[in-house]
Amino acid sequence: MKPSGQNPYRLPPAQADNPGNRKKQQFLEDEQFRRLAETPGRPAAMAFFEERLRRAAAVPPAKPRLGLLCNLVPVELILAAGGEAVRLDCGNSASVMAGEEILSGDVCPLAKATLGQFLRPDSAASACDALIVPATCDAKRKLAELLADYKPVFILSLPADKDPDRHAAAVAAELRRLAAFIAGVTGRAATRASLRAAMALTGRRSDLLRRIQAVRWEKPRALTARDLFACVQSSLLSPEPLDTWLEAAERLLVEVEAYTPERRSLRPRLLLTGAPMVWPNFKVLNLLEECGADVVADTLCTGVESCLEPAVTDETSFDALLRALASRSIFGAICPCFTTQTTRINRVLDLREQAKADGVINYSLRLCQPFDLESYRLERVLKDRRFPVMNLRTDYSLEDTEQLRVRLEAFLETL
Amino acid sequence: MKITAGLDIGSTTTKAVLFDGERALASIVMPNAALPSDSARLVFDAALLAAGLDKGQVDAVATTGYGRRLAGFGDLVITEIKACALGAVHTGCPGGPIHTLLDLGGQDTKVIAIGDLGEVEDFAMNDKCAAGTGRFLEMLARKLEMDLPAFIEAALRSTVQIHMNSTCAVFAESEVVSLLARNVAKDDIAAAAHQAIADRIGSMVRRVGQREVIAFVGGGALNRALARTVEESLNKKVHIPDSPQTIVALGAAIAAFRKEEKLGL
Repeated sequence: MKPSGQNPYRLPPAQADNPGNRKKQQFLEDEQFRRLAETPGRPAAMAFFEERLRRAAAVPPAKPRLGLLCNLVPVELILAAGGEAVRLDCGNSASVMAGEEILSGDVCPLAKATLGQFLRPDSAASACDALIVPATCDAKRKLAELLADYKPVFILSLPADKDPDRHAAAVAAELRRLAAFIAGVTGRAATRASLRAAMALTGRRSDLLRRIQAVRWEKPRALTARDLFACVQSSLLSPEPLDTWLEAAERLLVEVEAYTPERRSLRPRLLLTGAPMVWPNFKVLNLLEECGADVVADTLCTGVESCLEPAVTDETSFDALLRALASRSIFGAICPCFTTQTTRINRVLDLREQAKADGVINYSLRLCQPFDLESYRLERVLKDRRFPVMNLRTDYSLEDTEQLRVRLEAFLETL
Repeated sequence: MKITAGLDIGSTTTKAVLFDGERALASIVMPNAALPSDSARLVFDAALLAAGLDKGQVDAVATTGYGRRLAGFGDLVITEIKACALGAVHTGCPGGPIHTLLDLGGQDTKVIAIGDLGEVEDFAMNDKCAAGTGRFLEMLARKLEMDLPAFIEAALRSTVQIHMNSTCAVFAESEVVSLLARNVAKDDIAAAAHQAIADRIGSMVRRVGQREVIAFVGGGALNRALARTVEESLNKKVHIPDSPQTIVALGAAIAAFRKEEKLGL
C-alpha cells in the first residue's frame, strides 16, 4: 500500500539537532520528574511508570514501529498486526524551539514540539518505520505533509461531523485502508483473533484506569493527577508492550485502594477540560495541585479520558470490530476538530456529577484555535448552570507561571 | 484592640496598611527594592514608624501581590484579587455598593465583579505581557522624553484624536517612533496611549459584565488622564477612592483582622 502524502517537492533534511537543545530538553524532563518526586507518600508502583517514560525515547524497536499522533488512531490495529505503537505528540518546550527552525512562531507548540522530535536522530520518533496522522486540526494536517519527508505517512481521513448514520461506512473503509497500510509495514495482517486480543488488552487498560479513577473520586489524595497523567502517558508515549504496563497498573490499583486518608479532604475538586497536556509539560497540573486543588476528572485526549472507553462489540466479524473501534476512537472523540462540541460539553456535565467537581478549568493551549473557539459556548453553558469555570490560556513556556498562579488561587478562593 | 497589617508586594511598588478594625492607621507606598523580602521589611517598618507603633503591637500580618510568598514573614497569604475586593468594599462608595472593580497596576490589569454580599463573583486579568498596564504608559512616557506627570498633563491637553493600534509595550515603541516621524504632536500621542489602555480595560469590563457602581483603584487610578478615558470607554462615571494605591494592602489587613477575630473571610 502506497503511503499517502508522498511529496514530489521533497525538502532537504533540517538540522535543528544540537547538544545545547538536547540538554534543555533533558533538563525540562528531569525538572518535572523532580517535581513529581516532591509528593509525599507516592505509591511505589509509580517508579515503574516513571522509568517507562524516562526510557521511552531510547528503547530500540523490537518489532516494526508505527508512530501516531492524536488520540483518534485505534492502536489495536497496530498491535494486532504485530507492530509496536508509540504516540509522538510532544510536550517539551525545548523541542518547540527545535521545531521553530521550520515552523513559524505562530504555529501551535504541540505541532512544533512534535516536529522537533523528528529533528533529533535519537528520539522515539526517529526510530519509527512509519507514521499515522489523523487529519484533525490544520496544524496536524500540515505536519503530516512535512513528516512525509522523513517517514512513510498514512493520513487518516476524518468526516467533518460525527454523525455515524452518514459516515459509518466511510470511516470503516478508512480503517480498512489503514489496516492494509499497517500490514504493509509489519508484514503481517491483523486477523479477527489478533484484533480481538488487542482490544482485550486495551480494554484491560480502560478497566484499570476506571477503577483507579473511582478510588480517586472517593479519596483524591490516593494518587495525584500528575502521577495519574504520568501513569497514563507512560502507556501512550512509550513503544514498549502494554502487558508490563498492565501489571504495574494492577499494583498501582492495589496501592491506591489501600490508601487511607488521615481525614476527609476539604480541598476543592476540579474538573479539567481543554487542550492536550503532554509530558513533560505538566505546568498547569503542577499549578493546580500546588495551589491546593484536587483534579478529580479530565476530558483531555492525553489524560485519563484518552484510555477510558473500551471498544466493545458483541459481534465477532472483522468489520464489526472495526466499527467498534470507529465508534470509540472517532465518533466518540472529544476533539474540537469536528464541527460540534456537544460531545465534550456532555462529557463535562456528566463528569461534573460523577466526580462531584466544584469547578471546571478550561485549558486553552495558546495558538490552538479549535479549543479556543469552543471556549465561549462551554463557558456560557457552565455559567448558566451556576457552575464555576475558569479559562486558562497559556503555552509550554514557564514565564507566565506566577500570573497563572494568582488567577488560579483567586478562582479557588471563590469556590 | 487588635491591630493587623496588610502588605501588598506588587511588581513596581510595595504598599503597607495598618488597620485597627475600623480604619487605616497608616498607609505607605514605596518603590520596590530588588528583593521582595527587603521591600516588605522596609515598607512594614515605615508604616510602623508612621503610626507610632511597635512590631509587637501588630497581631497579624497578611501578604498579597506577586511577592506574597516571598516576604519572608507574615501569617496569612491571600491573592490580590480577594484583597482588592475586601479593601474596596470596606472603603465603600457614596453612590452605593461597588459591583465592578478595576485595578490597574504596574504589570497587570484586573477587573473584578463583586456580588451583593461583597464577594468576588468573577474576574478577568491581562495575559502574561505588560500590554495595557501601568508599565506600558511609563515606557511610552520615556520614549517621548517625559516623566509620568508630564505625560499625563500632555494627554489631558490633547485636542486631536489619533489612533494607536498597539497596547504591546514593545511594538508601541516603534509605533510611537513612526508617529513622531510624521510630526504628530506629543500631546496627541500621549492621549492615544491612554485611550489604547482604556479600550482594553473597557473590553475586559464587558467580558466580566458591567454593573454599577464601578470603582477604579491601583496606581493607575491616580492618573487623571486615564480615569477620564476609562470613563469615556465605559460611558459611565467611575468612583476613585481617596488612596486608590493602598486599597489592596488595606484589603489584606482586613483579611488578617477577620482571621484574628475569627469573623470568617
